[in-house]
Amino acid sequence: MTDVHRTIDAIWRMESARLVAAPTRMVRDVGAAEELAQDALVAALEQWPESGIPDNPGAWLTTVAKRRAVDHIRRERRLAEHGETLAYELAEQRRLDDVGGPEHDPGAAEPQSESEQDDVLRLMFVSCHPVLPTEARVALTLRLLGGLTAAEIARAFLTVEPLIARRIATAKRTLAEERVPFELPDGAELAERLASVLEVVYLIFNEGYSATSGEDLIRPGLCLEALRLGRLLAESVPDEPEAHGLVALMEIQASRTPARTGPAGEPVPLHAQNRGRWDGLLIRRGFAAMLRARAAGTPGRPGPYLLQAAIAVCHAQARTAEETDWVRIAGLYTALAGLLPTAVVRLNRAVAVGMADGPAAGLALVDELVADPALRDYHLLPGVRGDLLLRLGRGEEARREFERAALLTRNSAEQTYLTRRAEAIPLGDASAWTFGEAIDAFLAGDRLAPATARSYGQTMWRLRLSLGVGMPLASLTADQIAGAFRVSWGGVAAATWNRHRSAVRAFAAWTHTPGLDAGIPQRTPQRRPAPAPAPIPPGTAWPGDVEAPLRERTLWTLLHESGTTVAAVLALNVQDLDLPERRARRTDRRSDRRDAWITWRSRTAALLPELLDGRTRGPVFLADRRPGPTRAGILGPEDVCPLTGRGRLSYERAEFLCKSTTGHPLRRLRDWSEEESRS
Amino acid sequence: MRYLMMSKASENAKTPDERLFAEMGAFIEELSAAGVLLASGGLEPSGVRLVSEGGEVTVTDGPFAESKEAVVGFALVEVRSHEEAIELARRFRRIVGDGESVIQQVFGP
Repeated sequence: MTDVHRTIDAIWRMESARLVAAPTRMVRDVGAAEELAQDALVAALEQWPESGIPDNPGAWLTTVAKRRAVDHIRRERRLAEHGETLAYELAEQRRLDDVGGPEHDPGAAEPQSESEQDDVLRLMFVSCHPVLPTEARVALTLRLLGGLTAAEIARAFLTVEPLIARRIATAKRTLAEERVPFELPDGAELAERLASVLEVVYLIFNEGYSATSGEDLIRPGLCLEALRLGRLLAESVPDEPEAHGLVALMEIQASRTPARTGPAGEPVPLHAQNRGRWDGLLIRRGFAAMLRARAAGTPGRPGPYLLQAAIAVCHAQARTAEETDWVRIAGLYTALAGLLPTAVVRLNRAVAVGMADGPAAGLALVDELVADPALRDYHLLPGVRGDLLLRLGRGEEARREFERAALLTRNSAEQTYLTRRAEAIPLGDASAWTFGEAIDAFLAGDRLAPATARSYGQTMWRLRLSLGVGMPLASLTADQIAGAFRVSWGGVAAATWNRHRSAVRAFAAWTHTPGLDAGIPQRTPQRRPAPAPAPIPPGTAWPGDVEAPLRERTLWTLLHESGTTVAAVLALNVQDLDLPERRARRTDRRSDRRDAWITWRSRTAALLPELLDGRTRGPVFLADRRPGPTRAGILGPEDVCPLTGRGRLSYERAEFLCKSTTGHPLRRLRDWSEEESRS
Repeated sequence: MRYLMMSKASENAKTPDERLFAEMGAFIEELSAAGVLLASGGLEPSGVRLVSEGGEVTVTDGPFAESKEAVVGFALVEVRSHEEAIELARRFRRIVGDGESVIQQVFGP
């Protein structure tokens, strides 16, 4: 790249938001507008090396892009036939008038008008529009407003370029198809749409901020990108306290970046950070943003970003960790928990209350969370609980909680830290046989049949996570087992409950601790013979045409067109598909049959390429997120997408989605005749 | 990355007029809005000089003879690349007219 090219590249990044926004106003389609902006860039790449860089390169590019937009509109209008309405013509004319004619000299400096800044804001609202899935909003915003390439975005999100490129292309198509207007929302809609923009900006920030690895320097770049976007947004909507609140929050969090990692790259917790390394400039900018938020007024209650920023301000104001105003922070977290009752917020509130009102008060709040089955694998929970227990002088329990936390975390640096904390607490009776040792001995050797060992292993693995491994077996009570049992399997079917129960009984018998299962009575399965499904009455509409995500629609259509089993369809891998022949080799258990092919027809064939989205390996149907520790233990290497890390869609989940959307079980979809499904 | 842009005093600089102030104001406002400008300010041209030698610190009040070398204004900007910093400085020079600026990357904080 020559110097001129590097300069052009830098100018493009600085100007791309305005450069895309201006033609978007004229052609009303961000996809087309981005192409026009790219045309202008190409023109610059052709002309500037010869003619030199113009005095006002941004205005030069904008004017060229607008000219191209005029050409685009003219062409569009020629294509539109005479039958078009007068209103359309008038609107076009007005758009042409906006530009001031194509004979304008591109070199002449144009003052930046109010409307240009508004156009950038409009563009922000469009690229964060709720019709797009969140990840598409993030990618499109970085592309259009940050001027990042698909390759750079892919690198920042640790994924591959084609995936991001496709995500951006799909997002642009969706915006065009949904006819999302290029306008500023107002009234009630503004609050909702602004929340979406703020969310996207903060997501970008956190993606950069939570990456502590630092191997790839573009990730700190994401924080910077988010800060820029946030500052730009706050400047564009100066009357919105939440926008200033988000900026304050990001500035103050970013101020801690230099202190957040130790010399070996290990994370340093807030209370142990060297506050002298916090960036005072960013802290002051954060405070200034808070003042602007206050000046903008708080209509009603402060929103979540303002509250989080206020908490960040409390930390930033404390010169030492001991000086932290925990009473105020606890109050702010209580208000925040009312707005955002997420596990993280509730746990942080417990920490703050534990600091403000003493460890007993904090522990009471943490124990509320312990009873929540959704948080059973949340490693921060036992970590915080251990901390509070330790401060209460309950060392034995604290040690067990740290051991549990170390078992649950997936971050090795954190694991080392937690294990070290656990080992720092002296054991009461080192000779006692612990629960963990008993489990290991119980499952060891070939005394149990492999299938039994696997089944018992699942049960005991879950109980280890719930109860920890360090407690002496002799001190384990039936109540503790019953509590952990209910949190883990309270809502499961009777047969599953009984299977886990028999594992506990076998363990109790083998370890000579009778009565451990006293709190978990056997359950009677409610077995009712399933009635034979009634035939579908003729003329019943195919239920798969409801509005559902692409994955579900593809699954249902494939199931229906292939007439094969649900298990066979879910077991499909991308590499087994033969798209041109519309068939796939069966990979499920019955693949040794002679007709080992699954075949489909046109509608599935139309849906599959979009679902695969460039993937070449891994399961065809993926779960919504990466597998948690429980599922990761069950999945084999073939069950995980090498690109996204997401696991294979489970039968249970697929069945649930089908039932809740169409009202029918998956199997039932095969019973529709071809005619009805086509209607 | 952060860059410090410093502008030096110049003998044949244009005398600041209404237009220059307006253009500078707009430029600073735009950079702040874009989240690029972190801090900026003008500097007293004379200043105080401190020299330490052999454990002795000598303090001398300005102005000094080589005053055209003195930095009279600074801007701390946060940009994505070296080229972006140069481009910003270029735009600044266009507004203020003849003279000299120096930009240096800031390491730390």
